[in-house]
Amino acid sequence: MLDVDARRVVISVLWGSLALGSAVGLAAVSAWLIARASQMPAVLDLSVAVVTVRALGISRGVMRYLERLSTHDVALRGVVNLRERVYATLADGRPDAVAGLRRGDVLARVGSDVDAVGDVVVRALVPALVAIVVSTGSVLLVAAFSPASAAVLAVALAIAGLASPQLATRAARRAELGTIDARADVAASTMTILDGAAELTVSGRLASAVETLRRAEARLAAMLDDAARPAAWAQGLGTLTTGLAVVGALLIGIPATTAGTLAPVELAVIVLTPLAAFEATNALPAAAVQLVRSGGAAVRIMDLLDRAGSAVVPASAADVGHAADVGHAAEVGHAVGEETEPVEPSGCGTRAGHALVPGSVVATGLSCGWPGRPPVVEGLDLVLEPGRAVVVVGPSGIGKSTLLLTLAGLIPPVAGTVLIDGVDSGDLPHGDAARTVTLTAEDAHVFDTSVLENLRVARGDVTPHEARAALRQAGLGDLLAGLPEGLETRLGADATALSGGERRRLLLARALLAPAPLMLLDEPGEHLDTDTADALLRDVLAVGRDRGVLVVTHRLAALEGADEVLVLGDEATVGTLSPRAGRSAGSTLVS
Amino acid sequence: MSKPLDPRLLRRARSARTYVLLTSLLTAATTACVVAGAILLARALGPVVTGDAHLADVVTELRWVAALFVVRAALGTVGERFAHRSAVRVVAELREQVLTHAARLGPRWLSEHGADTATLTTRGIDALEPYFVRYLPQLLLTAVLTPAVLVVMAGLDLVAAATVAFTIPLIPVFMWLIGLATQRFAADRLQVQQRLGSQLLDLLAGLGTLQAFGRARGPARRVRELSEASRRTTMQTLKVAFLSGAVLELLATLSVAMVAVGVGLRLVYGELDLVTGLAVLILAPEALLPLRQVGVHFHASADGVAAADAVFEILQTPVARTGHMTVGRVSGVEWAGVSVRAGDRGYDAPADLAGVVRPGRVTALAGPSGSGKTTAAMALLGLIEPDEGAVLVHTPDGVLPLREIDRAAWWAQVSWVPQRPVIEPGTVRENVLGARRVDGETLARAAAATGLDAVVRSMPSGWDTLIGQGGVGLSVGQRQRLALTRGLLDPAAVLVLDEPTAHLDAVSEEHVLATITAAAATGKAVVVIAHRPSLLAVCDDVIQVRSSLAPVAVGS
Repeated sequence: MLDVDARRVVISVLWGSLALGSAVGLAAVSAWLIARASQMPAVLDLSVAVVTVRALGISRGVMRYLERLSTHDVALRGVVNLRERVYATLADGRPDAVAGLRRGDVLARVGSDVDAVGDVVVRALVPALVAIVVSTGSVLLVAAFSPASAAVLAVALAIAGLASPQLATRAARRAELGTIDARADVAASTMTILDGAAELTVSGRLASAVETLRRAEARLAAMLDDAARPAAWAQGLGTLTTGLAVVGALLIGIPATTAGTLAPVELAVIVLTPLAAFEATNALPAAAVQLVRSGGAAVRIMDLLDRAGSAVVPASAADVGHAADVGHAAEVGHAVGEETEPVEPSGCGTRAGHALVPGSVVATGLSCGWPGRPPVVEGLDLVLEPGRAVVVVGPSGIGKSTLLLTLAGLIPPVAGTVLIDGVDSGDLPHGDAARTVTLTAEDAHVFDTSVLENLRVARGDVTPHEARAALRQAGLGDLLAGLPEGLETRLGADATALSGGERRRLLLARALLAPAPLMLLDEPGEHLDTDTADALLRDVLAVGRDRGVLVVTHRLAALEGADEVLVLGDEATVGTLSPRAGRSAGSTLVS
Repeated sequence: MSKPLDPRLLRRARSARTYVLLTSLLTAATTACVVAGAILLARALGPVVTGDAHLADVVTELRWVAALFVVRAALGTVGERFAHRSAVRVVAELREQVLTHAARLGPRWLSEHGADTATLTTRGIDALEPYFVRYLPQLLLTAVLTPAVLVVMAGLDLVAAATVAFTIPLIPVFMWLIGLATQRFAADRLQVQQRLGSQLLDLLAGLGTLQAFGRARGPARRVRELSEASRRTTMQTLKVAFLSGAVLELLATLSVAMVAVGVGLRLVYGELDLVTGLAVLILAPEALLPLRQVGVHFHASADGVAAADAVFEILQTPVARTGHMTVGRVSGVEWAGVSVRAGDRGYDAPADLAGVVRPGRVTALAGPSGSGKTTAAMALLGLIEPDEGAVLVHTPDGVLPLREIDRAAWWAQVSWVPQRPVIEPGTVRENVLGARRVDGETLARAAAATGLDAVVRSMPSGWDTLIGQGGVGLSVGQRQRLALTRGLLDPAAVLVLDEPTAHLDAVSEEHVLATITAAAATGKAVVVIAHRPSLLAVCDDVIQVRSSLAPVAVGS
């Protein structure tokens, strides 16, 4: 998952083993030195030991420093790889994989979950390997003097190095997997409070939101507590096993010394070496807990990646009947009649089999809906090509936005086909649809960067000149003049510095700059005052003479520039009317 | 430089105080075990090495050595348990304080600091956990165990004690020197992390938009650059941060080595007996162990302290003063020459706004996009303090400036439906009613008036359908109908609606307009931010909002 470099890991383990090996060596040689000294030999006999003790005293600190640096470097490189991969997969994946996530979840997945996976190297992989090397070395050292005592040490090390991490793992797995959910809950509650602070404060719901947070925190705390318990026991077990090895060495060594099978100097070595030998294994319970924690994070990340990469499950045929109320369509049609005059649908060329124009979008018998939900639009025929302006009118909540996502090739049709530049939208490689058609959703994102960079979202090489022209076209000339740093002015998080109307205009300017010949706009006049909205819609439709434009709106004014007006009714029926000719709206509805 | 134990932590987080106290007690007990254990082990081992004793002679010492190991293990277990529990509590306490304080700081502060605060409260603040679990206990051990062991060592062998004691003052000096650099680096790192967090979040939030333009792939490189930048900064920090740990460890291990060599040489000359020598040899590393551990966890401390600093920076940001007056009955709200600066854009929106809102009437705030209608509403709601002029509240007893009125009391009088209402995770019913008790008929009437009833009918479990954070599964229009229903059911005297019909079709709009008029007829003062002529038509009064910029040209 992290694509870590094995060579770098081996180097880290080497430094780590040398560092802890120095500590064990220091204990063993010091014990030998003191015991031998008490026998009052010639000072020269001790010189090698004296030099060794000093050298080990230095090497430990140095090696440890090198180990920590190289371990962290390996881990961080892995984190960079993984983070990029998570982003790239989400970017290439289905839009609904991201849309279905809470904001706090996304942050947790790309942030702390990726970090948690990286921590495996620092806190689990390298310490475990070092513990194996150092423990083996310590047992071999003691075995050179007393095999029996070495056996006790080996057993003690095995308990410390195997049993306690396993104890920690088993209990931690249960709690930690739940903890990641609880953490995400805490993160999500946190984001609710931050995002909605003003509204929650005024409506007095802040206390209840904080209460939700507290409940999430309490759940998290209980789970963390549960997870910490085995880790604490393992910590105690570490001290106990050290005691076992030391007391064991004394019980075996003292009779052996008395019997003369073990030199007194060697007794000191086999008793004092274990005091240092457990440092490596004492890190293992924490390593095991980390492994579980990271494992949970890894599963969550893989789950998200799978979801983003998986094929769409089409809604079952049984769901198709549910769209919405009957009768609403006629009411809308009636409202249309007041401002525009419909004609027979047959005059509008929206049938299947329409001659293909390059750079067109042709929908035939299209039913669309959010994956896994009942379709919101059924049986739609529509042609959008350069030079043509189409308006889709319908009441709110009727599925206009879903229709646009489908036409833009971002979600697959439930039934029927969408041909984008002659290719079925399902067969188009990811991102290719955007060469023909771009979508500006109603809640399209404004990035926390400069005005210019926000326009460059549409096309990377937008020049400042083009940007100014587009802003003027979208009616933002005056705003641009008022900006302290012009195009370089930063817009702040989610464009809070802009008013709702300014935001819509900026999004329009962005859509105008996209290289695709066709553009889909979702409610471009929303949050604009009526006059400006009408003027804007007229402008948008006029631009459609040069490119192709499809506008979704629920307002019925200013449609005279449209070549075709489609009315979506509540029964997921579609009516077609022209803004110019005159018939009653009711008769134009086609089911 | 920040202190290793920020006193503000103890003041602000109750759990932190209990924790420090109890851990100090555990530390003292551990110290006693360590000292006694070392001396007894030396007494058991020494006579055997010199050939003066058999196993039977040292059985008592052996029993005690074993017993002390058991006690130490128990103390360690209890300490670890307690540390985790307290750390989690401290983090939770501080997170809640930061969030409630951030909410009190208002929309202007949040628009500037919101993303950073999000990173801090979801990630940065967790750095306090290792700080409490790992670093703080070692710090306390250093304060208790090290001096105690040194005193015992001095009683046994002055020279060895002096060797260790000589090293110890060097350690804080190095720690201080290197700590200076680390502090700066760690603060930088947190900043980089926050920047990375904000930018990544921004990229992810805009992923849908980027996909719509077929440009979602490009930023992958940007993500890599951001992560690489973070890695490099982190490695630079670590090189310095680990350096302090390395120096500590070097000095500590070296001084143990010096003690071993010194004791060895004095044993050769018979200046010392073996039992004392062994006791000193066992104690020397114990005295230095906590210091080394402090070094090992120094970066945990630096991250923790930097996170704590970020927390306290927010908590110490002063909140706009709230008044203490309360209002019984509101007979009108007035903007008296209200101007609010539009961010850093050098003009006012709204500029010199004047107008009165009266009970029983529907008042529109009208004006071109960007003129400051929403800001004017926020000033009325007491969320934004006007830079010039004032919001005045009319009561039967006279006119009060809003800034003299207790905010909470004011908020009980107003109800607000913003453009992008918050949906809390929970059922539709919970979101509409909150803690309020409303009979089914009233609820059904309100829902029918806003068109929420149709939305509810289309949902799998009706009113009990779970809706997620940010209203996943609800369109913007549906979300607004929900919020509108909530606003209608709120008994507040003043109802502020930000473009209540923005996402509605003509038929639904008529329903809502009738509902707004009806709400005013019940005596509410209704304020609507209005664009549509149909909405303006039902308003009794229209207040024109202007910015200090020239009006935006209409049409082309």
